[in-house]
Amino acid sequence: MALEEYAGDYNMCCRCSACKFVPLQMVKGFEHANVCPSISRYNFHFYSGGGRLNLGAEALDKGFNYTPRYLDVIYNCQMCGACDVSCKYGMDMEVLRPIQELRIKAVQDGHAHPALDKVVDRMRKQGTMVAGKGKRGAWAEGLGLTDAATKKVDVLYHVGCLTSYDKDMQKVAKATASVLKKAGVKFGILGDAETCCGGRAYEMGYEADFLAQAKKSMEAIKKTGAKTLVTSCAMCYQTYAVLYERFGLKGDLKVVHSSQLIAELIGNGELKPKNDVDLNVTYHDPCHLGRLGEPWAHWEGTKIPGDRFVFDPPRPYRRGTNGVYEPPRQVLAGLPGVTLTEMDRIKEYAWCSGACGGVTDSNPEFAEWTANERIEEAICTGAEAIATADPWSEKLFAETIAKNDGALKVYDIVELVDQAI
Amino acid sequence: MALDKDIYSAFADVVGEENICDDPVMMAAYYKTDFAAVIMPGNTAEVQAVVKLCNKYKLKYRPISCGWTGVFIPGTVMLDLRRMDKIIEIDEKNMYAVCEPYVTSAQLQAELFKRGLNTNIKGSGAQGSALLRGHGPMDQSCGADDRNHLAVEWVTPEGDLVKIGSLGSCDEFFCGDGPGPSLRCLVQSTVPPSCTPGVFTKVATKVYHWPGPERYHLKGNSPNYSLAEKPPYMMLRYYSFPSVDKLMDAEYKLGEAEICFILYGINMAMVSANVTSSNEEQEALFHKIAGEVQGPGFVVILAGNSEKDFEYKKKVLETIIAATGGESLKAVEEEPQIEDTLMRQCTRVSGAIRETFRPGGYFKSIPVMGQRDLTVRWAIGAGEAKKPLIEKGLIVDDGGAFFGWGVEHGHLGKTEIFCAFSPMNPEAWKVVDAWESEEGGRALDENYFALTMSPLDVIDEKTGPKLSNYHLWWYKVLDELDPNGVIPLKGVSKLTP
Repeated sequence: MALEEYAGDYNMCCRCSACKFVPLQMVKGFEHANVCPSISRYNFHFYSGGGRLNLGAEALDKGFNYTPRYLDVIYNCQMCGACDVSCKYGMDMEVLRPIQELRIKAVQDGHAHPALDKVVDRMRKQGTMVAGKGKRGAWAEGLGLTDAATKKVDVLYHVGCLTSYDKDMQKVAKATASVLKKAGVKFGILGDAETCCGGRAYEMGYEADFLAQAKKSMEAIKKTGAKTLVTSCAMCYQTYAVLYERFGLKGDLKVVHSSQLIAELIGNGELKPKNDVDLNVTYHDPCHLGRLGEPWAHWEGTKIPGDRFVFDPPRPYRRGTNGVYEPPRQVLAGLPGVTLTEMDRIKEYAWCSGACGGVTDSNPEFAEWTANERIEEAICTGAEAIATADPWSEKLFAETIAKNDGALKVYDIVELVDQAI
Repeated sequence: MALDKDIYSAFADVVGEENICDDPVMMAAYYKTDFAAVIMPGNTAEVQAVVKLCNKYKLKYRPISCGWTGVFIPGTVMLDLRRMDKIIEIDEKNMYAVCEPYVTSAQLQAELFKRGLNTNIKGSGAQGSALLRGHGPMDQSCGADDRNHLAVEWVTPEGDLVKIGSLGSCDEFFCGDGPGPSLRCLVQSTVPPSCTPGVFTKVATKVYHWPGPERYHLKGNSPNYSLAEKPPYMMLRYYSFPSVDKLMDAEYKLGEAEICFILYGINMAMVSANVTSSNEEQEALFHKIAGEVQGPGFVVILAGNSEKDFEYKKKVLETIIAATGGESLKAVEEEPQIEDTLMRQCTRVSGAIRETFRPGGYFKSIPVMGQRDLTVRWAIGAGEAKKPLIEKGLIVDDGGAFFGWGVEHGHLGKTEIFCAFSPMNPEAWKVVDAWESEEGGRALDENYFALTMSPLDVIDEKTGPKLSNYHLWWYKVLDELDPNGVIPLKGVSKLTP
């Protein structure tokens, strides 16, 4: 959808500032009322969802002028969608998608961020978003997993770039494979033949590169014969389940996050956690599994002529209502000795980890600042550990805690499941 | 319209480079005005220093807090007070809270709820500043407007620091009128321009008893939240009446009885907006419930301190409603989700955007202050004047309805009526502007105290002659307070392109 098609949304912002805060019904005190990392860190209104829309309205009217500050605003956003949810508590309008279009437009107009250019170039050449030494499938050596590149499978475990290449995060891949095996799930991996989903490139503003990469990725997946794709990466989950559906790329492929599958396995007794984990944890909802993981609903319709914004058929706004919130909690609840204590900002109004939108590459300081806000919120609960379901979040949390000599432990929930079985 | 380099440096020296921006491209994010710069002071001393520099360089400035609306002239220096976001004090014993300008009403209320206290959130919504003057759904039991302001820390238009009320004689905020200087009439006028010259940096606001829970525990996901458990001694009903006379009779009797936590005279369009999550749902519900009311009405929320108190209030309510011919809206009684949602929206004031902006994208409103039974009659006429616009499809169909309520259980209060419309329809703008001018003018002709969303001097010119030409005196005061002409409160409409 072209930027111009969001003209009504750019002009709709009433500057109420709801986009800066958790949905007002969920403001639980003075602390943790903010929801948007960008406005919270930089304070000027133009870093908020509403401010960005106002800038878009002005640019559509008077043309784009890429000043240093404008570009700073464009790239200092995790695209986490929290503004979108909070706005849509009250309004019928799009927020995140018009903001995304501004970034796409900047890239198209030759104003890409140099750090993101490097990352996307790596994806073009090597099919990965992260710099990694060695082979993509090296983490699985000796595990005896089915090679889906040579043998047809029903279930494909898509590992993702970070989990495949990053030595510190390969534990998530190993734990996931271990749990699936113990549960008797017959699955395969693509190993060295796996390629990036492209989702991060889209968020960085490289729409054409995303589409090209998505085609490559789907071709590889189709060759395996898999009917179901399982991933332990929230970013990959959102990309395959939502973005591919939106762009008509997904077909009949069923996409599930590992937390959904494990919750189901525990629920139907196929997986029986028995070891006492003995941990007081809090859970961080990854943006891409939570509010951005809401299924895509195709819609074609027209505005009913007249005074109010009503459509025929009714327009299904993505408000974060139907994200993947319960399965990870069900998994944690099913682990012996695990006590879950919730943070103030959860589910559709969770504070972002800081790891998305390319910010870890374009502005690591801002990414760490955002992560630290979440870590402090987690510490407020009294939990010993923060559990999540996304390697990007886990890695950033772990690095930020280490940098600050913190004591909070970080886990992917699949690691805890593996301990429990 | 960027700043001169030396002037920019002078401001940056005060607030830090990271808290000033004069990139013209970015100014549109604030308002469609060519600001000279946006500056974010972080404390009172920085506000003073910035204001003094504005005086030195003869730069007009205006402060904003959460910043919903405003009229700004080109070249203005915008003081964005977002960094001043602390709750300074909650004095439970003396029942006041002291806040900086960017504390939101939602934040303050959430802290107060934990302490069995409450604040009167204004009708514009809980995302607004806790310091905001004005009116809201809780006017009935939580005071209203400038009456809730106590001591104030004020930076004058020239940058001097004045501590108003008790703060002027001791370090406490408990009173707005002394011991110490009381300048309430200058800085907190409830008559137009109702706009503070200079900058409030800390304000004490009265807080009130809250009989409800420490927090609403909610289930579900946005926008479909619901109460995990209904508070035991709270209930909400909507009553409609066969005539305006009966409506006002009930409102006054309930006021005399002092039983209502909220008496909130909203119409069916606003009720349906509050409890639905989309325009389509709202439209469907509006058409359903609009036919179920016998005339104008109001929401009542009872909140008991105990079972006995609650039962007493219910009994009084039922007696008065029966005596005045009120009918309870079935949809509220029969659908617990409607009662639940409306109760939370009214007490946390989180549905304002749904009421005003969601249906059409924009709205224009005429609030009128005064004797409720008189102003309601004016509003009926203003509603009739809306109907041709509704029929032409230029404004949102709300049945030509108005809304309003009494303040502090009394006969004085606010009555308001608005037109919601699409900001992208030039014809709608034209007819709504004309409606606003005609109906606002009629209110003044009939000696009601009407405010419109026009520039302040336009309001002054209309209301001033009706009120002893207060505006001419006010302008003299402004000249004394602002010798360098840096606070653009005079002649805004002539300065705005």
